[in-house]
Amino acid sequence: MSVARTEVPAQVAELATLQGFLGAWWAASGLPEGAIFAFELALEELFINAVTHGAATRFSLSLELAGEASVRMTLTDDSPPFDPLSLATPDLDSPLEERNIGGLGLHLIRTMMDEVVYCREENLNRLMVAKTLVPSTEQ
Amino acid sequence: MNTLIDPQDRATLVAASGRLDFEASAAFQKELEAAIAAAAARKAAVIVDCAGIDYVSSAGLRVFLVAARAAKGASVAFAVHSLTTAVKEVFDVSGFGRIIDVLPDHASAMTKVGAGA
Repeated sequence: MSVARTEVPAQVAELATLQGFLGAWWAASGLPEGAIFAFELALEELFINAVTHGAATRFSLSLELAGEASVRMTLTDDSPPFDPLSLATPDLDSPLEERNIGGLGLHLIRTMMDEVVYCREENLNRLMVAKTLVPSTEQ
Repeated sequence: MNTLIDPQDRATLVAASGRLDFEASAAFQKELEAAIAAAAARKAAVIVDCAGIDYVSSAGLRVFLVAARAAKGASVAFAVHSLTTAVKEVFDVSGFGRIIDVLPDHASAMTKVGAGA
């Protein structure tokens, strides 16, 4: 199973549906279990952003295996144009009292993925993340 | 998420397990805040054993941030220990090791909060 796509209403409760879909595709594709984390994280961060900050009504997830161990995940939502990559990197050195969680999710995704690309396409925000899984050195 | 809270003499031990995602974070935050308030009343520390947490997102990180702030405000020593690989990676990338005491195991966490043997 190399390509799969699903679409859900943009509601918080659908996070479990999406994570289940990703997990099933991952297993069916025979990918290493320990390497799914970066994708689960990116999926949650981007879905929750779209649902809680945007005005999305629909959210789609598409998964593609490119080559033997390169995974590409594309997420779309129908909220107004918003490029999450335009967010500044959060200040990771500020003290406890001044720490903010805003922007941290995107920072995690950018650090843990090889590639993150945003585009606006046919009234949809489309974010593609990709990563080549390194065999036997699961992080 | 499952949380076990064990108020010992000098430290309340919190053992959390499961996925600390957006949906689990609100309940976990309430439990941690309650544990910190109770510990403050008896001048004990709070230590969170993260060995069972196999997933954390920024929503989960926020819980640790809020808890660490609450602990500091209540003069309760606060530390986490035994992070899994995934959780450690998220803490590292987020620079959380600079604002929260992260220890390798229970014994070192107890020493850190001044509740060691």
